[in-house]
Amino acid sequence: MLSKIMGVFARPDFPLLLREHVVLSAVALLIAVAVALPVALLVRNTPLGATIAINVGNIGRAVPSLAILALALPFLGIGFASALVALTALAIPPILINASIGLREVRQDIIDAARGMGLSGGQILTRIQLPIAAPVIFAGIRTSAVQTVASATLATFIGAGGLGDLIVEGLQRRGPRYCSQGPSPSRSLRSSRSSASAGSRGPSPRRGCRSRRREEVVN
Amino acid sequence: MIEFRHVSKTYAGSDRPVVNDLSFEVLDGEICVLVGPSGCGKTTSMRMVNRLIEITEGEILIDGEPNTSMSGTQLRRKIGYAIQQIGLFPHRTIADNIGTVPNLLGWEKGRIRERVNDLLDLVGLSPDEYRDRYPAELSGGQQQRVGVARALAADPPIMLMDEPFGAVDPITRERLQDEFLHIQEDIKKTIVFVTHDIDEAIKMGDKIAILKQGGVLAQYDTPQTILSRPNSEFVSSFVGGDRLLKRLSLTRVSELDLGPANGGTDGLPRISDGLTVRDALSELMGSGQSKAVVEKDGEKKLLTFQDIEALTSSGAMGGGKRSA
Ligand SMILES: Nc1ncnc2c1ncn2[C@@H]1O[C@H](COP(=O)(O)OP(=O)(O)OP(=O)(O)O)[C@@H](O)[C@H]1O
Ligand SMILES: [Mg+2]
Repeated sequence: MLSKIMGVFARPDFPLLLREHVVLSAVALLIAVAVALPVALLVRNTPLGATIAINVGNIGRAVPSLAILALALPFLGIGFASALVALTALAIPPILINASIGLREVRQDIIDAARGMGLSGGQILTRIQLPIAAPVIFAGIRTSAVQTVASATLATFIGAGGLGDLIVEGLQRRGPRYCSQGPSPSRSLRSSRSSASAGSRGPSPRRGCRSRRREEVVN
Repeated sequence: MIEFRHVSKTYAGSDRPVVNDLSFEVLDGEICVLVGPSGCGKTTSMRMVNRLIEITEGEILIDGEPNTSMSGTQLRRKIGYAIQQIGLFPHRTIADNIGTVPNLLGWEKGRIRERVNDLLDLVGLSPDEYRDRYPAELSGGQQQRVGVARALAADPPIMLMDEPFGAVDPITRERLQDEFLHIQEDIKKTIVFVTHDIDEAIKMGDKIAILKQGGVLAQYDTPQTILSRPNSEFVSSFVGGDRLLKRLSLTRVSELDLGPANGGTDGLPRISDGLTVRDALSELMGSGQSKAVVEKDGEKKLLTFQDIEALTSSGAMGGGKRSA
């Protein structure tokens, strides 16, 4: 069994599929960060805006991955573009939710003290709000990364390749061989991605933050 | 010097002012305490000084200049502000917290380091032990000291302190008050100090501004005058029925003009001349005697009930608690 599973790595098309998978997930994640973070920053000082952002994020999370793929298909046709749009749409909500909540949860008295000492709005953001919210924001990005790599297997259904091809191939042959070979590289890719982004969470939680409540809404 | 000139504040969406035509001056080196019932506009008045809240009508002058003559952030870097909730930055060490404003002003590292150590010493926290801790690793009282040190960091001539000793137990509060008055003897800042506790106001203030509902100034005077001549029913009830005793707490035994103790002082209670007259009265009554011995500069003096009575009937009470 194990040797059969290992056999998949030796397939000639494996490097290509792996690359498609990584590129698709990475680009989707980057775009999601580039969209979600600015939105979270924009709404950070308006409670109503933050609430709306969080709720939009929650609704986004409730939409199934396949449904988003199906929705993108009529507009962008078969291939990479559709898959990218769908994956990006899936990747945004966890980042948006965590970033909005992380920034919102920075205590008002801390911001008040900063303002009272003469920090400008930008300085309050970069020196106070972002560092305090960083662990929650990075947790959101990590969740999003894990989910994107998992959902990228579905890209095969709209012809965007990736490791999902292996899974589908296995299913079609009604044999367990590829069926189990497909998911396993995708699974290990996922976990390596997760630990990689966990390692780069920016400032590691420092001693002073230890007792603070760190809300990780999606994880 | 800080001058309030006919200052009013009406919040947007409300038609009633929360601060109404406020005028008074805080002289250089003095502590002015704003005191009054909850919601009477103390915090609002204080935050108009550094323009965290914009004035609706009137103006506030600082050293003769309207406080609108520079940008809000510039102004606030020149005014130390200790907010009511302390608000230390949880992700920064105590040293970094205290160094916030010097850092903004571009001081060099060595100078900031030295200043932080001096300030920690000043507020009674050992720099070696506390510099590198995080706020969560300090007790409430210690955090409050750091908050005060942080407000003092860039040596601003003006300080705003919003209930700076509010979050601690009465005994710690008393100690922090004493320490701060002691520090103030050296640093001579011009201070606006908010509290809702009349006893704290009497203890800390060179002047007291009593506000009533709607942000109206009820009386602005020295603690002595407010206690001996409250100008309205509101002020006398706010000051409390024990204002005579409060007056006694403004004077120390060492400031009394006492007669010498001749002859037999054996069996009489001894009273330290550092006590307030109020505490001395309490000790005297507790001893069951009618007089006590006070030792002053090696001389023995006699304290009697008459001395205390004379004090309450004369107008000249409470010379200067600062000189005690
Ligand atoms: N941002 C605001 N918008 C509208 N009204 C406000 C605002 N801030 C304060 N107020 C109102 O202004 C009044 C004065 O508030 P302020 O905070 O100055 O009171 P305070 O004297 O400091 O009271 P406390 O002793 O309870 O702290 C209160 O009635 C309060 O409800
Ligand atoms: Mg207040």
